[in-house]
Amino acid sequence: MATIELDRLIKRYGQSTVVHGINLSIQDGEFVVLVGPSGCGKSTTLRMIAGLEEISEGEIRIDGRVVNDLQPKDRNIAMVFQNYAIYPHMTVADNIAFGLYRSKLSKSEKRQRVEQVAETLGLSQLLERRPSALSGGQRQRVAIGRAMVRNPAAFLFDEPLSNLDAQLRTQMRIEIKRLHHRLGTTSVFVTHDQVEAMTMADRIVVMREGRILQVGTPLELYEKPVDVFTARFIGSPTMNLLPASLRDGGADLSVGGSVRVPYSSATTSDILVGARPQDLVPTVADPQGLTVSGTVVVVETLGSETLVHIESAGQTVIGSAPGRQIPRIGEHMTLHASSERLYYFDKATEKSLAVR
Amino acid sequence: MSAIAHREAASGGLWSRMSLGQKQVIWAWGFLAVPLIFYAVIRFWPTFQAFYLSITDWTITRPATFVGLENYKRLFADPLFWQVFRNTFMYLILGTPISLLISFVVAYYLDRVRFMHSFIRALYFLPFLTTAAAMAWVWRWFYQPVPIGVINDILSSFGIPQQPFLRSTSQALPAVLAPAVWAGLGFQIIIFLAGLRAIPVTYYEAARIDGLSEGAILRKITLPLLKPTLVFLVVFSSIGFLRIFDQVYNINTNDPGGPLNSTKPLVLMIYQTAFSSYEMGYAAAQTVVLFLILLVISLVQLRIMRDR
Repeated sequence: MATIELDRLIKRYGQSTVVHGINLSIQDGEFVVLVGPSGCGKSTTLRMIAGLEEISEGEIRIDGRVVNDLQPKDRNIAMVFQNYAIYPHMTVADNIAFGLYRSKLSKSEKRQRVEQVAETLGLSQLLERRPSALSGGQRQRVAIGRAMVRNPAAFLFDEPLSNLDAQLRTQMRIEIKRLHHRLGTTSVFVTHDQVEAMTMADRIVVMREGRILQVGTPLELYEKPVDVFTARFIGSPTMNLLPASLRDGGADLSVGGSVRVPYSSATTSDILVGARPQDLVPTVADPQGLTVSGTVVVVETLGSETLVHIESAGQTVIGSAPGRQIPRIGEHMTLHASSERLYYFDKATEKSLAVR
Repeated sequence: MSAIAHREAASGGLWSRMSLGQKQVIWAWGFLAVPLIFYAVIRFWPTFQAFYLSITDWTITRPATFVGLENYKRLFADPLFWQVFRNTFMYLILGTPISLLISFVVAYYLDRVRFMHSFIRALYFLPFLTTAAAMAWVWRWFYQPVPIGVINDILSSFGIPQQPFLRSTSQALPAVLAPAVWAGLGFQIIIFLAGLRAIPVTYYEAARIDGLSEGAILRKITLPLLKPTLVFLVVFSSIGFLRIFDQVYNINTNDPGGPLNSTKPLVLMIYQTAFSSYEMGYAAAQTVVLFLILLVISLVQLRIMRDR
């Protein structure tokens, strides 16, 4: 159990800076997900916490102790890698026992710990197998087992599910989440997959180009994204953004029609009005809200709902229709979103108008 | 359906009547035939010919007559053969471990060097590209007495007495082996480097987090994972040392085989029997013995080093 604090953390490789002074405080027992596109510095940040990368400037504190100059082995953390990093020439039991390499337990105590962990992860039957005889999901569990066996202060996950197929990924997501619930160990999880972030995190940290854009619970990020990047990154399919020009109490959309805007801006009249596809439906609920009409160009049938792409004044807008109501391509369609489900951004700075 | 098939069969030749699978088989064997015939004529036939010659007394000037195992009896009774046999195994027993140890150490550290990495690697590889004849001549100069020989120069500057090297019955074999080891290093280093590079970095990172020391990482992770590379190099370099010839032949051109045959390997003996004495049958018997030694050693090594 531990808290982790990042204090003005900077990472440079030669001339280029990849992490620009980030601050983050992770509570004891919290499950924090660092999410962002590739090259955003999330993995580098995790590796700095692990001690695999040197810190250029700033401080990392684990449980209040500055660990900047500590070797990875002295930080009492455990890490799970994307390619599992389990050794092909050792059995599952030996791989898990590797986590106890430095522990002073007796042989039988170690064996007991390994069996205990294997039991927890459902690996008891596989202890004598070699990794080559395991499935991807089982290998990942062995890697988690090696991390768990030492009772570390924190778990660090570096995109651990990326090498699994979609179905296994969903399953392992749930397993890791349940494990965290049971062990309550502070965890930092890096992923580029926003669904993983949303489903697993207590708190999400959205990163881009070495900076933290927003920190919050999954719902906070979904409901109150601070900028266009987060708004588009969180939620699937991506939020629609329609250019509009601001006037008193409302805005005129470039696709036609207007919406009520509860915010004003002193600096700009060019704004973006955002609407999530799930909120853009064929039924009228709020005459003050957003109305878009256009020709249906693509229909994606998901069963539970149908995603409809309509083209209006040269712009494609994604909305959703009920599962059994499948529009035909070429059909004319009108979609509505109520005004309290809309998001407003400054077009130039891409910041939300709600935060100021 | 059957009407169409029938018409095609009737109009087309043999080729169009064949199924897709049959056509693929014909294509495959067509391409395979080229190397197969080549190997049969160039490799296998002469090999069998050598087996046959080894039980004859062919000497170029005389037609071959069957002599049974006479050549083998003569060979095993020949003290020179046992001297040469010992020499050949000394090359193997000294050369393989020494060259593998040196090349692994070089590769292990070179793998971490970023500064001029490719250049240094090229330097190590250079001797492998040099002809053995040129190399042997240079090393022969090294081994000369002062003031010509570099090695004796260095020794004498430390006050160490002159060493005879190639002229000594005890030092000649190691002195011949040294350039042979040196010449093979480049190749072995490249192979070791490739093997080291193939080990994922995360294995090392995971080990660092688990708290393994450098030595433990080498012992428990690097070496086990390098095993396929190691097996390849052990077998490959063993065969190389058992067949050593050009290094030995060139370094002592006026007296091939060194003082009192102290450096003569089996291949050189075969060469001299065949092309100095023209006793082809006897030379063929020696070749067969060499072949069997190579076969047995390679099989034993593969068996020992394979996964349990």
